[in-house]
Amino acid sequence: MTSTLVTDPVIDELVAICGPDNVFADRSSRVNRARVPAPFPVHRWAEHVPDVVVLPTTAEQVSEVVKLANRHRIPVVPRAGGTGLTDGAVPLRHGIVVDVKLMNKILEIDLDDRTVTVQPGINMLKLNEELQQYGVIYPDDPASYPCSLVGGRIGTSGWSLIGGRYGHTRDLVISFQIVLPTGELIWVGDGGGRKVRKSSTGYQLKHLFMGHQGTLGIVTEAVLELVPRPEAEFAAFFSYPDYETAWRSTGALAKSGLATLAGVVLFDEWKLDYLRRDDEAYIPQPDDVRCVVATAMYGTTDEVRPGAKRLMRIGKDTGGAYLGDEISQGDWASRHDRYATPLHGRLRDGQVVPMSWHCEDASINWSQLPQVRREWHEIVARLGDNFRIFDDWGMFAYTNAAFKPWGDYLTEIDVGIWEQELDDAAWDAWVTAKRDIAAVAIAHGGSISACHGACRAGEVDLVPEELGGGWDVMKKVKRVLDPLNIMNPGKYLLDEAYE
Amino acid sequence: MSSTERTDGDNGTDGFVAEWRNGAYNCYSSGHKFCREVCPVMQVTRNEVHTPTAFHANVVAMEKGLLDIADVARDYVHCTGCGACELRCPNTLFTGDFYRFRTRTVQLVKAARALAVDQGIHQPGWQRWVEETSRQKSEPVLGAEVPVSQEHVRDWAAGLDLPIGGETILFCDCEGAFHRTSVPRAAAKLLQRAGVEFGLMREQWCCGGPAAEMGYVDRAREFAKHNVDDWRAVGARRIIVFDPHDYISFTEDYPSYFGDEYDFEIVLFVELLAELIRDGRLPLTHPVERTVTYHDACRLNKRKGIHAAPREVLRAIPGLTFKDVDHVTQWSYCSGAGGGLPIERPDLTAEISRRRVERAAALDVDTLVSACVWSERPLTEQRGALEIMDLLEIVALAAGLEDER
Ligand SMILES: Cc1cc2nc3c(=O)[nH]c(=O)nc-3n(C[C@H](O)[C@H](O)[C@H](O)COP(=O)(O)OP(=O)(O)OC[C@H]3O[C@@H](n4cnc5c(N)ncnc54)[C@H](O)[C@@H]3O)c2cc1C
Ligand code: SF4
Repeated sequence: MTSTLVTDPVIDELVAICGPDNVFADRSSRVNRARVPAPFPVHRWAEHVPDVVVLPTTAEQVSEVVKLANRHRIPVVPRAGGTGLTDGAVPLRHGIVVDVKLMNKILEIDLDDRTVTVQPGINMLKLNEELQQYGVIYPDDPASYPCSLVGGRIGTSGWSLIGGRYGHTRDLVISFQIVLPTGELIWVGDGGGRKVRKSSTGYQLKHLFMGHQGTLGIVTEAVLELVPRPEAEFAAFFSYPDYETAWRSTGALAKSGLATLAGVVLFDEWKLDYLRRDDEAYIPQPDDVRCVVATAMYGTTDEVRPGAKRLMRIGKDTGGAYLGDEISQGDWASRHDRYATPLHGRLRDGQVVPMSWHCEDASINWSQLPQVRREWHEIVARLGDNFRIFDDWGMFAYTNAAFKPWGDYLTEIDVGIWEQELDDAAWDAWVTAKRDIAAVAIAHGGSISACHGACRAGEVDLVPEELGGGWDVMKKVKRVLDPLNIMNPGKYLLDEAYE
Repeated sequence: MSSTERTDGDNGTDGFVAEWRNGAYNCYSSGHKFCREVCPVMQVTRNEVHTPTAFHANVVAMEKGLLDIADVARDYVHCTGCGACELRCPNTLFTGDFYRFRTRTVQLVKAARALAVDQGIHQPGWQRWVEETSRQKSEPVLGAEVPVSQEHVRDWAAGLDLPIGGETILFCDCEGAFHRTSVPRAAAKLLQRAGVEFGLMREQWCCGGPAAEMGYVDRAREFAKHNVDDWRAVGARRIIVFDPHDYISFTEDYPSYFGDEYDFEIVLFVELLAELIRDGRLPLTHPVERTVTYHDACRLNKRKGIHAAPREVLRAIPGLTFKDVDHVTQWSYCSGAGGGLPIERPDLTAEISRRRVERAAALDVDTLVSACVWSERPLTEQRGALEIMDLLEIVALAAGLEDER
């Protein structure tokens, strides 16, 4: 289960670079950094155990580790929070895990030019606790807000719950320092100025070095956006008797042009069934509530108050019934935690079993949502016909664009998987289903992933199809920047770049 | 065979795995690490093997033959037993009612430590500590003013004229008895002032909680048995404790050792205190001109949900300016004094305390008040310009039982 490249002299070199307290070759340190939350057969855990783990504290150390890896041709895998859902931080080829959690300092808070400079191992909740006293926030707000880290947000180019108002990770990270796959340290942003948000100088490299799942380097420092702490928050949940009405209403709300609207979320009938049957925290609704649409606004009181009135009117005019303050405020506030509720599901006979959560996360245009939804549920239903360990937990569609909530949607189907019973046959069927799900997204003009990335078995097979000619460019870039295939090898089919 | 496969099975490990595997899978199959950033140890070490996620995953890894207790025994040292992770865990927060399930990381850590001891894997500091405790019947309190021994276990009460025995017993924690004697003295005087009748034990031994937390379960039971026998011998019905660690021992460990026959009423001092003040039985007449904040003792706030009574008491003190930080924010605070951490990783305890004091100092207060005598030593070592006081000490001032120094 380990490669033979990491010899004792290599460990000695790592110790010389990172210090004796920050290099771990013991079993526990390695076994505990082989996984991320996405379901995977437990009996195959041993396949992805790294050879050694380092916890560097400076960019220079990271750079030296990567150079060493190039000299010895050892794979390097960056790991931040280890919450990524596309296996990005899983060391497929073993090697050295560069765990950035010790690099969690706030380096500068600049209230004049509205930036905060941090190391990549800091968590957003912790960062905002510090920022609170200055009346500003860093509004990257995924459902993994309490546990993912800035480095992983950049590595995945993540999606934020309130991105319709404040933007997503790529919009909120202004510039960053990155160790290239060959060990050089560079800064990338929009142009050269570290705190400049918009530039036309040169190629737009910032985007290239985001969302690459650690295949193009390791971020070691980042300059982040600061926005005023919102004075007012308003959340409204509406209910609908059928999907069609809810979907149309979602479109109308999203296209309202209300500038403080941060997000619109559509829960389909399967999702409501699931919440009703298995989510203890869900506030019960009458049976004729078949779909729900959640909305939230943030901004100054002067904007949010009148905006909320307009929003309520649109919701009602398009067939929604307001679900009341309790569910609106309470459910919105607990959205982060509620995500993690799907920790149990059911077999078809009703038996409750502990289940892992798989979240499919395509980007789909509004017009295509009803059809994609139909096809996805069919795929999961077929899977469930053949294997009892899969449970359809329903779908969400979240507004997906930055700074404007219309257009496309992070379209999520949640599938419960009884991980303990995930044998090879069920796993193969699952991988096939994932491929089918991805194919539906592409067929409807969408993209396989809106937030996690598309590295997992099954979906990854279709990345070349989705990207077309761009896939060839991607391979060329990879080969040029990482000639020895050191950075996170095995991800995104990028071995093909070296064929 | 690859280098990470466990070679042989054994009964101790099998029993441990059988007991903990369901809970472990509940975490393993979510594994999202919501608990990570709230953990006081993890906040310092940033090392994933010191997280509840790893503590649970290790059980699965043991079941699958990937890890042995020998591989992870040292990892399990890195827990203060504060309980923050359990509160932050969605398995507790949101599915608890559905399942009648609660993530029990603290108990899991204790069980893993016990398994290690059972397999002959000892942490040198803990082993010495437990042996010393067995020899002297009280913990080897460092820097004690008087030597730790049975002869001196009641020295703190000199001149207070306290009887032995009776229906109500005041149990004095080891750290209080030998090091911070001002706390038990304040406790006794406050009870006397309020007219509460109480006595001391004939022969008080350590509550056994630390030994249990370090994995020495048989030793812990010996202490427990002695204390319970002593209570029975003097006809005690009611035990008052001021130390949160003792409170956990008496309300969680002892019932698990003795079952139904264990029928003592365990009274937490600060809750009694709040009641006495509320009922007017303990007038607080002397203004205390201090600006304070309160350190939520982990075992009260996070393990027992007790955060209102200490605040009620502080708000009743005349002259006091109280700058509060809410108890949920304090889930991620700790002094680092619990779970045997200061014995094996004093460096971590010091850093955890330093951060706690720093947060207090940022509030512009002059005093940090705690309700846990064990927290007060590491906090005092990091205190900087702040004074660290026990809640009972400050109430004793307000009751006119002590003078400001
Ligand atoms: C309950 C839950 C809810 C979630 N909700 C959301 C959501 O709403 N939106 C969303 O976008 N995601 C969500 N996710 C997925 C996950 O949290 C994100 O993908 C997150 O960005 C991963 O961050 P991490 O710190 O855990 O990174 P990791 O999982 O450690 O790493 C992610 C990827 O980035 C790479 N990487 C890590 N550090 C660096 C670095 N310093 N430089 C370069 N590459 C690096 C890794 O190699 C890996 O490929 C959720 C996950 C969970 C468990
Ligand atoms: S929050 Fe709970 S389920 Fe999640 S990783 Fe921590 S202990 Fe496990």
